[in-house]
This record gives sequence, C-alpha cells and structure tokens, in this order.
Amino acid sequence: MLNMTIDLDHVSRLANLELTEEERKILPEQMEKIIDWVGQLSRLQVTEEEKYTPVNFSLRLEEDEVRESLPQEEALAMAPEKSGDYIKVPRVLQGK
Amino acid sequence: MKLIELGLVEMVRVVKEGEVRATEIVEDYIARIEKEDKEIRAYLTYSFDRALRRAREIDLKKDKGKLAGAVIAIKDNIVTRGIRTTCASRILENFNPPYNATVVDRLEAEDAVIIGKTNLDEFAMGSSTENSGFFPTRNPWDKGRVPGGSSGGSAAAVAGLEAVAALGSDTGGSVRQPAAFCGLVGLKPTYGLVSRYGLVAFASSLDQIGPLARSVEDCALITSIIAGFDPRDSTSSPLPVPDYLAESGIPLPNFRVGVLDVSSLTGVKEEVVRNYQDVLRMIAGLGIEMQKLDLPSWEYALPCYYVIAPSEASSNLARYDGVRYGFRAESSELSDMYLRTRTRGFGREVKRRILLGTFALSSGYYEAYYARAAKVRQAILREFVEAFKKVDFILTPTTPEPAFRLGEKQDPISMYLQDYFTVAANLAGIPGLSVPSGFSTDHLPLGLQVLGRSFAESELFKFAFLLEKNLNLKNNRYGINTRGRRKNEN
Repeated sequence: MLNMTIDLDHVSRLANLELTEEERKILPEQMEKIIDWVGQLSRLQVTEEEKYTPVNFSLRLEEDEVRESLPQEEALAMAPEKSGDYIKVPRVLQGK
Repeated sequence: MKLIELGLVEMVRVVKEGEVRATEIVEDYIARIEKEDKEIRAYLTYSFDRALRRAREIDLKKDKGKLAGAVIAIKDNIVTRGIRTTCASRILENFNPPYNATVVDRLEAEDAVIIGKTNLDEFAMGSSTENSGFFPTRNPWDKGRVPGGSSGGSAAAVAGLEAVAALGSDTGGSVRQPAAFCGLVGLKPTYGLVSRYGLVAFASSLDQIGPLARSVEDCALITSIIAGFDPRDSTSSPLPVPDYLAESGIPLPNFRVGVLDVSSLTGVKEEVVRNYQDVLRMIAGLGIEMQKLDLPSWEYALPCYYVIAPSEASSNLARYDGVRYGFRAESSELSDMYLRTRTRGFGREVKRRILLGTFALSSGYYEAYYARAAKVRQAILREFVEAFKKVDFILTPTTPEPAFRLGEKQDPISMYLQDYFTVAANLAGIPGLSVPSGFSTDHLPLGLQVLGRSFAESELFKFAFLLEKNLNLKNNRYGINTRGRRKNEN
C-alpha cells in the first residue's frame, strides 16, 4: 500500500472543513497513525475480484403514482433563513 | 415490587389485563428519571407531556396494542416528529423533525410510549458516549465509568430503570458493546431486517437499528414489532417476519457452535478470556457440540471498517451545510457559510472521520484504501459463509474489556479497538446478539456475542434464551433477574 503523507490542507478543503490551531497540532500525527494502522489491509491475501454488495435481494421499483408527501410549509419550517416559499442563502458569487 | 422493575413482556401483560394503568407506569418512570438522570444523564430530551398524553389515550382504549404501556427510550439519531432530534451534535441542536422514523411509527402503533431521546457519541461515532456534543453519560453500574457507545444513553436508561427498553443503532458495535457494558441484551439485526427510514445516516451499508432490553424475551418482542419490509427503505428485506417471542421458547434441534481461541489475542483482558471459557464449559456441559474456528480475515475487520465507515460518513455528512435545516454560521458568502457552518457545527471525532473518509476516497488513494477495503470485506463475508456451513452460531466475547473509566481512552485507535469483536458482523451484514455472561472482578457486567446466519434472528433468540436460562444471571444492578421477576438478594 502507498505510504504517503496525508496532505491535510488539501483533504480538509475537499471536506469543506477548516482546522483550528489545536487541530492543526494534534491531527496530523493522529491521522498518520490511523492511516498507517489501516494500511495493514494490504497484508491480507485477497483473491476477491468482486467487491461487497450489502443487499442480495432484487431491489423493487416504486409504482409510478401520486402520493402525499411532506407539505412545503413543513419542509421549510426548519430552514435557517427563508424568503416566502424559498430557502434563503448568502450570495453565491463573491463581489468586489 | 415496583412497576419500573417489571420487564417489558410482563409490563405489557399487566397493562393489557387492566391490572395497572399505562399512566401509572409512565408517572413512575418520570419520577425515576427526575431522581436518577441528574447523575446518569442518559437523556438529551425528555418527552414527558407527550408520554402522559399517550398513556391516557392507551388507558381509554379497549383493544390495546402488543406494546401497551411500554416506556421506551429512543436514541437521538432516530427522528421523532415533534421531539427534537440532535444526533448529539451542535449542528442539529435545534432540529425538530417533521416526520417519524418507521421504527417509531411501528412502536407507537402498538401503543408503546416514547419517554425521551437518549445521548450518543456525536452522529454515533464512538464507543463511550464521551463524544457527545453536549455531555457524557455515566454507567449506572459504576458512575465513574462509561456506558459504552455509541448507544450509551439508551443502555444507561434501560440499565438504570429509566426505561423498560430502548432503541439504538449499530454501525460497528454501537448496540452490542453498550449492552455488554450495562448488563443488557442487545441485538444488531441482519442488514435489511429493520427499516432505516428516519435513522440519520452514518455509514449506510453498515447501519442497523436494534433494541436494548433487560432480557432475551423483551428483546425478541421489540424486534418482532420493528422488523419487516418498509417501502420507504429500499434496502429493507421483503422476507416475512416471524413472531420471535413466541418462537424463542421452542427448543432448537441439534446445532453446532463455533468458538474462537481468544486467549492468544492481544488486548483482550484476562477476565474476559476467563469468562468466555467459563461460558464455553457451561455450553459443553449442556451437551452442545462445539468446534474451534480459524477466521484469519477476522483480524482485518477493524482496519477494513475504519476505511469503509469513514468513507461512507464523509459522503453522508456532506448534507450538513447550513442550507435547509440545522445550524448555520453567519457569513456574507455561500461557500464561506458552508465552511464555517461545518467547522463550528461538527465535533472533533466527526471531523477526524470525515477527513479520513475524504482521504480514502480521494483521487490517487481510492484504489489503495477504499477499493482494497471493499475486497477485504468480501473476503470476510466469504469466510463467514464457509464457517456457517460447519456451525450454526459463532460465539465471542462482546468486548475486549468491561466498562472503562471516563477519560481513560484518549488515543483514537485504543477507542477503535473496542469494536474488535463486533465490526465483522456489520461488514458481513449478519446478525449479532449480546447477552450478559457474567461479571468482572470489579463486579462490572460482561457480555457474550452470538453471531448467526443472515435472517436467522429466530434461531439466535432461541439460543440466547437457552444461554440466559443456564447462566442464570441477575442482569442488572437492581437485582431483577432476566425474566423480570425479583430474585432473592444473595
């Protein structure tokens, strides 16, 4: 297995997370240890070509029929910010 | 005898036969919780008013359901309409779900009463309930110790007589390990037996909802109610569900039990090994045929799990972005709002797992980690399939040690090792049941895990019932035996 150092800045960017000062101190070493530990997976002789699938009965399709679903009002009730029937978010594009 | 000491099956009987009103039971439990929970802190949210309202309705009903008057606690990662559901995370601190999980609907349809929502490790990630974003829960057996996790609040509630039974969720051992730590019976059902609709997703290919109870028959009764096909969960199985309780007393025909050589395992405490060997001797004494198993891929189950579970979690938890519900951090710009919301809303262990999963799925590493783990997982499944050609059940200790002290495990890997015996069942999708098997030298409960073939819950209950009867344990600290009747104090 690859034995490379984890680029935490890159990974945290991908995960949409920012690290605190304290996390910056402790996380790199912890993550290295965990990744090193899971690295032992490469030692098991695996002949499997197949990957695991959790369900082995055939999935059924839904009938195409109209049914009651969550009313819009209730779906919107938990939104942090609303404007009429819409969820409101900060602006998408950064203005100068 | 106090009402709160009644087991579930007995409690339902007295309510149905009109000997006791559901309202009396709920009032007794509320009094108990108000007294005990200041210290134990099993619950994040109480739903006393709603419980009393429900109890009054049940008392007026002529035809009462199969769980009439059963006071049940629900892990706070299972959504409840009108009762706050937080996953013990700041990011969902004020989330009030607009719908019920299927399991909650099914319990209430049989006249169970939901008394509150229990504490957990944030998003079910942990083995001690210390990762809760709010506060830790204490083990009723020894308040300086953890109740296990992640369903630690549910286990502490049932062991502390603050509920007659509870629901938890089990992704890598989160029902079975706290059941063992608190002297309870806990089931991780076969993947697909119980609907996951309304269970907040952690690792979707591993998660299952399961009950924690004071006896095998109580556990069997709840399982019968919550199991079965649900059109709202595409992974739920269409197989018919037997009446586990009615079947649990029927003796099993000839069967064989597979056992492991646990004495050679590092990290397993000596008293756990001793207890396991004692139980095996007892089983041999019953004339049950045993066979030593060699499961070489077992050793890889834990690292396999710690690639698969964080990978799925990193994807599932991407939905917490502050847009539609939950916590939102103030910001003038969208992408910055996402970043601040997640950074401030998630706790440390959740972040650690999201980062680990993001890494394992990232370009350049996917084949080496995730794809590799998916193949190892298949190898583990194949090994189980082979083993179950030779034996009907596999027995292991549930945990490598009894309940540990709060704050004792600081290093993440030492905490992950808690799941040593339990994760393989989640990886292979098979059912696992933990039953109380004795006590440590400090008089802390120990658990025995029984693994079986997929959808063989009925056989698991039958075997567990036999074990429970022969181990003859008082399974909680209040001296109530496993059948719900008080035994003489000795």
